[in-house]
Amino acid sequence: MSAAMKSSLSNKLQQNVSSCKILVVGAGGIGCELLKNLALTGFSDIEVIDLDTIDVSNLNRQFLFRKEHVGKSKSQVAKESTLKFNPDVNIVAYHDSVMNPDYGVNFFKKFKLVMNALDNRAARNHVNRMCLAADVPLVESGTAGYLGQVTVIKKGLTECYECRPKATQKTFPGCTIRNTPSEPIHCVVWAKHLFNQLFGEDDPDQDVSPDTEDPELTAEAGEKALEKETEGNGKDLERKSTRVWAVENGYNPEKIFSKLFRDDIKYLLSMEALWKTRRPPEPLDWSNLSDATPSSATQMRDQRIWSMKECGEVFGNCLGKLKVDLAAQGEDGMLVWDKDDETALDFVVSAANIRANIFGISQKSRFDIKSMAGNIIPAIATTNAIIAALIVMEALKILNDQFDKCTTVYLNRKPNFRKKLLDAGRLDKPNPKCYVCSAKPEVTVVLNTQKITIKFLEEKILKGDLGMVAPDVEIDNGMGTIIISSEEGETEENNEKLLSSFGIINGSRLKCDDFLQNYNLNITIAHVEKLEDEKDFMVVGDMAELQAKLEENSKKKEEGTGAALEKSKEEEEDDLEIIDDTEAMETAPTDTSPKKRKADELDCTPTAKKQKKSIGGDGDADVVEIL
Amino acid sequence: MGEENITEAEAALYDRQIRLWGLDAQKRLRAAKVLLIGIKGLGAEVAKNIVLSGIKSLTILDHTQVDEEDKLSQFLIPREEIGKNRAVSSLERTQLLNPMVNVTADTDDVADKNDDFFKQYDVICATCCPSSILCKINNICSENNIKYFAGDVFGYYGYMFADLGKHEFAEEVPKMNQKQESSQQGEECGDGEPAPKKIKKDEKETVVVKKEEIFSRLQSALDVDWSTTEIKTKIKRTPTAHFITLAIFDFMEKNKRRPQLSTSEEDSKQLLECRKMIIEKNQLDDKYLPENFIEHCFAELSPICAIVGGVLGQEIIKAVSQKDAPHNNFFFYNGVEGTGMVDKIGN
Repeated sequence: MSAAMKSSLSNKLQQNVSSCKILVVGAGGIGCELLKNLALTGFSDIEVIDLDTIDVSNLNRQFLFRKEHVGKSKSQVAKESTLKFNPDVNIVAYHDSVMNPDYGVNFFKKFKLVMNALDNRAARNHVNRMCLAADVPLVESGTAGYLGQVTVIKKGLTECYECRPKATQKTFPGCTIRNTPSEPIHCVVWAKHLFNQLFGEDDPDQDVSPDTEDPELTAEAGEKALEKETEGNGKDLERKSTRVWAVENGYNPEKIFSKLFRDDIKYLLSMEALWKTRRPPEPLDWSNLSDATPSSATQMRDQRIWSMKECGEVFGNCLGKLKVDLAAQGEDGMLVWDKDDETALDFVVSAANIRANIFGISQKSRFDIKSMAGNIIPAIATTNAIIAALIVMEALKILNDQFDKCTTVYLNRKPNFRKKLLDAGRLDKPNPKCYVCSAKPEVTVVLNTQKITIKFLEEKILKGDLGMVAPDVEIDNGMGTIIISSEEGETEENNEKLLSSFGIINGSRLKCDDFLQNYNLNITIAHVEKLEDEKDFMVVGDMAELQAKLEENSKKKEEGTGAALEKSKEEEEDDLEIIDDTEAMETAPTDTSPKKRKADELDCTPTAKKQKKSIGGDGDADVVEIL
Repeated sequence: MGEENITEAEAALYDRQIRLWGLDAQKRLRAAKVLLIGIKGLGAEVAKNIVLSGIKSLTILDHTQVDEEDKLSQFLIPREEIGKNRAVSSLERTQLLNPMVNVTADTDDVADKNDDFFKQYDVICATCCPSSILCKINNICSENNIKYFAGDVFGYYGYMFADLGKHEFAEEVPKMNQKQESSQQGEECGDGEPAPKKIKKDEKETVVVKKEEIFSRLQSALDVDWSTTEIKTKIKRTPTAHFITLAIFDFMEKNKRRPQLSTSEEDSKQLLECRKMIIEKNQLDDKYLPENFIEHCFAELSPICAIVGGVLGQEIIKAVSQKDAPHNNFFFYNGVEGTGMVDKIGN
């Protein structure tokens, strides 16, 4: 033992720690704790990047921030607060998105190590690719409530972040949302769609009116309903966009309420097949709403259940306010739903509860609906502190040339049968078929080439699902037809064209290249007329996997749609997939449910060696979703 | 306790945690008076975690002075405070973490406090204390129904101990009954004929059950004779950090201080003696208390403080809120092995 010992670390390790340059991605819940640990452990050359600003709901855990910092840059304030713990640290703070092209491969190559403290999958995918391209080890992390995870990613040695498919956001069939809601979340999704239909971006997938193409209706029943529709009393408004209709009626609360909650419901009732085994909905009358309060009136507005009368009043008031907000956006303006906008939230709370009441579904408080509609993942200081510390423990092994000792660690809620509260497991080898880190990344995309546009391919498939940031795409047809260019303006005229119009058919191959990520991907197109569950596309590893999936789907079909949905739900649970929210997803208008696993369920499951869990992120800043 | 409603300001600040543990738990936290003894690296983590959570008050009791080692883990003390009292030096930054918590510093030696002093708290958490003091306070807490915690970090190693007496708590468990809990109007119940389409399965569907956990005192854990045949079989599955802790406890009793970086060479020799004593007394195999622990047990490594302080902080929150199963009765973290385990030692 050396008499010159200056810390708990060996001299050599201390040397390595103090001389290496590291990047911290994210200065939120995990990031704040991480920066503190790094500064105290002796790291002295740190760069930190975060695009976010400080919100009051961060302050219960992001302890580098205080009330007077609300609204300021997270990375900047985190830097200043960290310097107080150790003024000798050199910190560079970027108030920016790590996905900005300024941070290319050469930027990442500067670092000995990268540590992720992120809250969304898009950024995790991107940093994963940048670290693979720059060949820099990455320590990945995430928390959700009491649970957390840390893992290490190193090109060629371990699985990358994208080696295993992640559970996608849970979506609901359109007919469940539009015709036969049975859970509170269905009503919340419907209410968010309604918001977008009335004030936001028009998305045909977010129709809120009754769906006559419900697969449960026999052809006859559907036609019957259609006939009724055309029969008379001016029901042609079904064919008119909700927005146009609302504008024409000046967003008149009574008219909108009556259409949505009386006439549309009566129309649904006419689809008798739907109500043979279900409780039929009960239309409401604007002038006769009950003021019976289901919960104690002494509770806070946020916590109690509103009466129908109160819901109606709030609904009407919100329509008025949102109409003004929309007008302020100018012509062609639109509103983006935001859980932190009081009016937008109130609108969804009232509309969702009115619909719930109609369908005999339990009503929810404003507090609960904010969680559901905003996909909020709860977050606490202690979990973040533990996870941030585990990141440093893995980093120390890497810097001590003990890469073989690196692990993936889960923070459990209760000790497992081996007494482990922190469960460490060996890192797995890369998946040779990974569409990101394998030598020749390949993937098959199943879609209808006569329905999918170039824009959809770029935005929803390449960027949305396959994690690219600025792709160039050419058809591998010997002529090198470029259909998407990352250069602005070069291929814009292609946007609305269908894939088929470029001769893309079943078996066509596309060469995709993301220059920023230094990532090339070959896509094989598999053409189908229609996918299960109203999906527009499906990404599969290869044709064999596709075959398996199609077979599974047809099996499910035999079991009936409802049963199939239940089943897929259970399957997800067996994977111990937790999550996933993320602000990024909040901005995307999707039918997302806050698919949060109850931690208790995790507890009951003995962690088998090979079982993989995935923890997804804190709505605000902290989390993950690993493996 | 805590019957008053949460204010709007509290609801906004604590939003993300109320969504996890609920309003009732938050109200209980708001009523809790906590005493934290010792504020080095681990104490700082615990203080941060529970002050952020929104307890009623925190008293920081520490009679020792800030030294060089604090720079490695004590983020609540400004660098220029070397030589000053730890509790006082930590006060300002602790208070800034959450203005709604009443934070005070006490510079007395815990050994000089009379029994009545401890009785004003709901929770007492003792760090940096020799085991004789830990046991003494434990006894006072037991007799007065005070939730008691102890913990410490030695380099790469750390432990947490809890004695909550007879602790009642609520736990959410997945609901087995398929019948709808009809808390609001208009709920259709699965009366008789289960709706073929829909047995409502709210993802959050759980029931709250009351449970109870009985704890034992620290002394009984220290008194375990690991050489007896019925206990011997348990050694293999007992975290090595426990035996390392016993060796360091022995050192602290003998020297009336912790092992220190500034005297690490000499302390290491003594620690090896302590190790030998523990091994002989318990007839342990060498591997359960490896000699090389002396290379890793000095000062407090910041991430180890964060891990043990995170677990300890959460256990305090659980104990106060009476929600969720507490860890009964030890948590050990071993940063050399990378293991974090809960174990029940003593009876």
